[in-house]
Amino acid sequence: MTENEFDMLWQRAEAEGYGKRLAAEYPLWRQKQRRVVSMVTALLIVVTVAMSLFTTQLHHSRNYEKVYCNRVGTTDAQWASLAAEMLLE
Amino acid sequence: MKRLIILLMLLLPIVAMAQSGLYKSYASRQNLTVAQVSGFKLNESERVDVVIIVADDDATWQQLSKELNIMGENGSVSWLGDIDKPAQRVKWSSTPVLRVVASPTRRTIAFYRINTESQYDALLDYQLNNMKQAK
Repeated sequence: MTENEFDMLWQRAEAEGYGKRLAAEYPLWRQKQRRVVSMVTALLIVVTVAMSLFTTQLHHSRNYEKVYCNRVGTTDAQWASLAAEMLLE
Repeated sequence: MKRLIILLMLLLPIVAMAQSGLYKSYASRQNLTVAQVSGFKLNESERVDVVIIVADDDATWQQLSKELNIMGENGSVSWLGDIDKPAQRVKWSSTPVLRVVASPTRRTIAFYRINTESQYDALLDYQLNNMKQAK
């Protein structure tokens, strides 16, 4: 056996070895990935529910839910106050 | 990963609250400050959406007055407006309407979107109660 032939054989064996390792570890990796995705999904659901509960409570304590404005400079509360004042004009 | 993307796509429209067509139609115009107060509380059970327009100068106010057929210089005016054409005065019906209040001294117009009869009643009660308190 020449040195070149030995190198080629060695490389093939190494490649096959990695292949086997990958084949063995792939299902575990997939399982782990699925677990992470499930956990992140569950976390998102929990955060969304918690946020909606929090904002609902916040809405009940204020006289407005949300304010949009095309400019900065006036606070949300000031706009709500103007909405109230305009009704008394 | 696909599940995450689908979930986010489902959640985004819920999280992002929509701006009304009325707000959008005025928000892009020059010399106008426009705000939408969503869920303005009238009483414990009734809330309405309000769009407020403030003209920056007299010229813009004059233009706005002309568009909405607002007569008179000083006193504030109010009317029930068509939901799609606020300048058009309408009588109360069960369909959604706008309660429009215009104040020339403030160069401000407020549009209260009324979807139900109970919201209309609540709005009138709110005005009556607060005017009494103001006196």
